[in-house]
Amino acid sequence: MSKLLNKPFKAFTIYALVVLVCSVPVYYMVVDSIWLEELDEHNLIIKERIENRFNTIEINEAELENILKIWNLLQPGTQIIASNLPEVKADSIYTTRRTNAYSSVNEIDRFRGLSSCIYINKKPYHLTIETNVEEADETFLAITLVTFLFFSLLVAGFIVLNRRIAKKIWQPFRNTLNKVKSFNLLTDKNIEFEKSGIEEFEELNTELSKLIERNILIFNQQKAFIENASHELQTPLAILKSKVEMLLQNKDLTEKQSELINSINTPLSRVTRINKNLLLLAKIENNQFAEGEHIDLTTILNENLELLADYIEAKGITIEKKISNPIRVFSNKTLLEILLNNLLINAITHNSVNGKIHIDCVEKRLTVSNTGNSELSSNTLFKRFSISSSETTNSGLGLSIAKEICARYNWQINYTFQNNLHSFSIWF
Amino acid sequence: MKILIVEDEKELVKDITEYLSGENYLCEAAFSYKQAAEKIALYNYDCVLLDLMLPGGDGLQLLQLLKQNNRNSGVIIISAKNATEDKVKGLQIGADDYLAKPFHHSELAARIYSVIRRKQFDNSNFIKHNEIAVDLLAKTVKVKKQEINLTKKEFDLLLFFIGNKNKVISKSALAEHLSGDIADMFDSHDFVYAHVKNLKKKLTDAGYDNYLKTVYGTGYKWEI
Repeated sequence: MSKLLNKPFKAFTIYALVVLVCSVPVYYMVVDSIWLEELDEHNLIIKERIENRFNTIEINEAELENILKIWNLLQPGTQIIASNLPEVKADSIYTTRRTNAYSSVNEIDRFRGLSSCIYINKKPYHLTIETNVEEADETFLAITLVTFLFFSLLVAGFIVLNRRIAKKIWQPFRNTLNKVKSFNLLTDKNIEFEKSGIEEFEELNTELSKLIERNILIFNQQKAFIENASHELQTPLAILKSKVEMLLQNKDLTEKQSELINSINTPLSRVTRINKNLLLLAKIENNQFAEGEHIDLTTILNENLELLADYIEAKGITIEKKISNPIRVFSNKTLLEILLNNLLINAITHNSVNGKIHIDCVEKRLTVSNTGNSELSSNTLFKRFSISSSETTNSGLGLSIAKEICARYNWQINYTFQNNLHSFSIWF
Repeated sequence: MKILIVEDEKELVKDITEYLSGENYLCEAAFSYKQAAEKIALYNYDCVLLDLMLPGGDGLQLLQLLKQNNRNSGVIIISAKNATEDKVKGLQIGADDYLAKPFHHSELAARIYSVIRRKQFDNSNFIKHNEIAVDLLAKTVKVKKQEINLTKKEFDLLLFFIGNKNKVISKSALAEHLSGDIADMFDSHDFVYAHVKNLKKKLTDAGYDNYLKTVYGTGYKWEI
């Protein structure tokens, strides 16, 4: 992609080129016509001087004859010949090209000539004066060369100026761009743009500020809504759960009724789970967890595995743990527990019966892999409720919570599928 | 034994009262901060169930009030907040336990049982239950004076059953009791069956009367 400033630069350069190319013939014509006009004037002055001089020195016919002979011999530029024409020819101006007989180099020169009639001692003489004029092609070449020299100067100037201007006047724009780039909706901090004193940039900054403010507002409203909604749902859910449990205590329950109550329990605990997780997400997003402490990851991992031991055993899953080095992380303990739990629970629930779970700690990376059949879409995997809702065991939020926690601490989490293993890796 | 339930949700209070009524408990209810403060000032309770979010005040302040009055009652916080900070703060001020809503009544009953027992028998840690004797400190169980070896989980289950006499306890309540919040994340709690089966076998082998009954499709019941 080309830079914004290069666009006018290109246009300017092309325009300058066109103008300068057009100016070459114009300059040539102007210079040439001035040349010729000046030479005509020059020739005319010489003619007048010659006529005047000859008339002021009083000489006789024979002497004049002699002088003119010598004149015509020694003055190659002018010729005075006695006019023997019956009538006087009108003055004429002409241009002629011929080789310079006296030059060693055989080249054609251009001459401007004046052919006129002068009177010496009241007798008409024919006078021709020829003055050398610069060759047309030479003039043209010179002008072209000078023009291109100036064109190069212009372009060089454009480049230098362009760079300087770009650096200076686009600085506020770049500042704004960097601020917008570093903006993170999750951190909840509005952007303060620097004052630039340039109308366009100020306008841009104002509009951006408004846009961001609106975004933050909407985002906060959405967060608040989720939080409030799940808060409000908590009590009815608690009562529902309580009532179901009270119903179970009924001594006159038939087998069918018991089964019915049990089948209420499954979706009920799912709703409770979703609600809990939504609340948790809202809390993480609202930064409601204390900053943290240095924690040994392996300790937490082992504690979690112990808690999950029953579920792992019930599904016949074998755990292969390879911890090449202990990982120490700085985080909130609860959040770290939730993160590891979610990964492990994920690896258990989406595992096949008698499957395997690999846990690898290498340098700063933790990988939890489990047996699986087909690759999952890594685009939607971490999004809320992206996994099919028909699976009753799932809240659809486990991985998005994991991702949210990782985002909070700038840890990298990603998913790969290789050799029938779903792998989730975190770089601490 | 007197229990005060400080909770603004009347339906919940009703259910808790009903669930606990079978035991040797007398339940009273306070629906607001003011009511609770009055009752705490006037009477002595063996156990107080304390909701943190109350109309008219913060439950944690009530807790402080209780501790200032130097009442020797056990306190179990029941809160919907489930925030670690609240939990830590509550336990620091002097609560004996913390239970996040929504909870199983059986879990609550087991916790009340444990709190009251701790408060009452300050030094002795024995539970006698017909032919079964439990030493809480040594974590040993004797049936007809014959010691039986229980795993930690089986021991926990036994206490849970004893704390919930004659109640139907669902498998999910047992699972939650054994593995905490994590149980929430699973739908299948089949492992509970294995633990209960082992416990029952060990008790039967030692010759206890069959108190532990399986309620078809739902869970278990410690009938006495």
